[in-house]
Amino acid sequence: MKIFGKIIKILALVYAALFAVFYFDLDGKFLYYIWEPMMIKRFDNMKREDNTKTPYEEKDILAADRD
Amino acid sequence: MKIGAVKEKFTQLKDSGALSPKALKEKMTELFVVAPQEEGKAAETGKKDFRKMAKDFWYGKPHEERRLGDLYIGDTGLYKHREWRGFADTMYYFNMIWLYNYGHMITDIIKYGGSPLALVDFLKGTMRYRWMGQTYLTVMHWFDRGLEGMRGPILRGSAWHYRGMVSASIQQIMRMFTSDKKIHGGNESEQWKKNIAHNETVSGSVFYPFRGQVTDIPLEMIPYFVTCHVNNHTVLNYIDAAQSIGLPADPCPMCQAEYGLFVLDDYPDFAPTMVTSNEACDGSVATSVLQDWFLNRPLYAMPQPMRYDDPLVQEHCQKEIEGCWKFIEEQYGAKFDWDVFVEHVNLQNEQYAFEHEKWDVAANTPYYPINGVAQALYRIFYSQYGTQPIWHEVDGHVKKLMQKTVANKIETLPKTRHRAIAWSCAPLYYSNWCTWAYNCWGINCVINMDSLMFDQYIRTDTYEHALEDLSWYNEKAPMRAMAVGGHEHIFQLWQYMERFNCDMVIMYDQLQCKGMQGVHGMFEDEFRKRDIHAIWVPHALPDKRTVSRKEIRKIISDYMTTVMREEPLDPTLVDFEDGNSW
Repeated sequence: MKIFGKIIKILALVYAALFAVFYFDLDGKFLYYIWEPMMIKRFDNMKREDNTKTPYEEKDILAADRD
Repeated sequence: MKIGAVKEKFTQLKDSGALSPKALKEKMTELFVVAPQEEGKAAETGKKDFRKMAKDFWYGKPHEERRLGDLYIGDTGLYKHREWRGFADTMYYFNMIWLYNYGHMITDIIKYGGSPLALVDFLKGTMRYRWMGQTYLTVMHWFDRGLEGMRGPILRGSAWHYRGMVSASIQQIMRMFTSDKKIHGGNESEQWKKNIAHNETVSGSVFYPFRGQVTDIPLEMIPYFVTCHVNNHTVLNYIDAAQSIGLPADPCPMCQAEYGLFVLDDYPDFAPTMVTSNEACDGSVATSVLQDWFLNRPLYAMPQPMRYDDPLVQEHCQKEIEGCWKFIEEQYGAKFDWDVFVEHVNLQNEQYAFEHEKWDVAANTPYYPINGVAQALYRIFYSQYGTQPIWHEVDGHVKKLMQKTVANKIETLPKTRHRAIAWSCAPLYYSNWCTWAYNCWGINCVINMDSLMFDQYIRTDTYEHALEDLSWYNEKAPMRAMAVGGHEHIFQLWQYMERFNCDMVIMYDQLQCKGMQGVHGMFEDEFRKRDIHAIWVPHALPDKRTVSRKEIRKIISDYMTTVMREEPLDPTLVDFEDGNSW
């Protein structure tokens, strides 16, 4: 019974904490002030393939067709 | 971040005085405290009116006392605290929207990814793609913006629409991530070999005969289109990338963003082939050409005529669809399955029957439980993506709600002063303008142009009928159906105004759409001639830098004060900053 009571208490605390996160928009504040700047930094500095170097083979095929 | 860097940052903050008790108190006030506003009896006597406070706690404040603009933190769009909507609606929002959706996002990732291990792929994708890592985690704020001020059934019905869109987005995200060569060391998995990518403007319905054999995933819908609504910061990178390689800046920014994804190498490599379209305009033709270059793999272009209802082009359109089916059969070894096609078309027709039921309620009663933004986005999303189980689940919930609101005559937006129809293509970065317009001015955006496209049942009695209707269906796609499909279609506005009992038009003015710019003057003339209240809303589709959200609000507010001579319902929403919000 005691364990059951403890579980109820813990669940109630978790529920209250989640409600605080919801009500005070803590999820939004975390994502806006902490997460998003980190991600911007990460993606701005990410090394990427230079896709403009992709050969345009279709163009050669079309040229061959025309010839 | 390394420990040294953290220490250095801490020292910098300490030295700047940002960690002093006074500065911290100021910061906490800025982030959490709403300036108290005493009204009514309390303002007169200077004493707290506990009876009123208890009533507001239980039922929520009356519309005119809400002061929603006071909840915002600066120009961020964040809330000092989320809105108190009365006990029942706040608890509904917390339990059935906020908690429910966060929880279901995790179960959806596992469900659509095939196993709990899919969480690893999700994490990899989050760290690899800007449109995922920076954008979609902020999804609950998308709900917040669209559902601000909503109460009762319309809060619930609109939230179900958002839930459907989130689930369908995760379905696509997970199929892309679990197949993506880029996050799996270049491996071409069996799943990769069974996917087909297509333009977001090619409807999923084209692929119905092959469902179960080949999985169709629109390539740009998630990396581009939905991002603009959820967090419009991301898309600017793609527009700038397109222009950075010398491509012109004046085409539709939607097309620019779509090929900008490729310039920045930010598209997932999840399929061996692609189907493209010229929908809706010649800007999209450029997108197809550039995608053909960047992807460098088999690609089927499925062009459709602009003047689509010319009887002479119907056979051509049908042949294009059959050409696409042949392409799939050749590339995948899949077989056209008539029974599977009929099964999916019937499911789609079911959705359309319910959509017509919804339109009927929206047009003829004040009991419609869906707000303007949820109506617009849900409709375009499901008709473009094609039938999926989640849409039917959502429609089931909404149907029950709608039956209740109609039976009990519940006015869902009771402060409606004007019934508006939104025409032409909407600003993607401010699709929730209609939520603001209702809260601030009582403008109820009943229906919009994009909701009215794809209005076509598909017969399944014979192959010929099915092909004919499917072809019509695709010709009536967004933007083409009205915006660039000939002026007689764009002028269907007058019939729809009458059908939906609207007294006002919100006329979108997409500044970079050459098709719509061409009929601007004709509309001006018609509005004058017909004595219609029309508010022109300029925008550049996904790019908020051309016309900001604040400018859009100012245009509407100016019209409401100077022409309509009306007072705002909530004065705190007339003028506020949100330039840096998602």
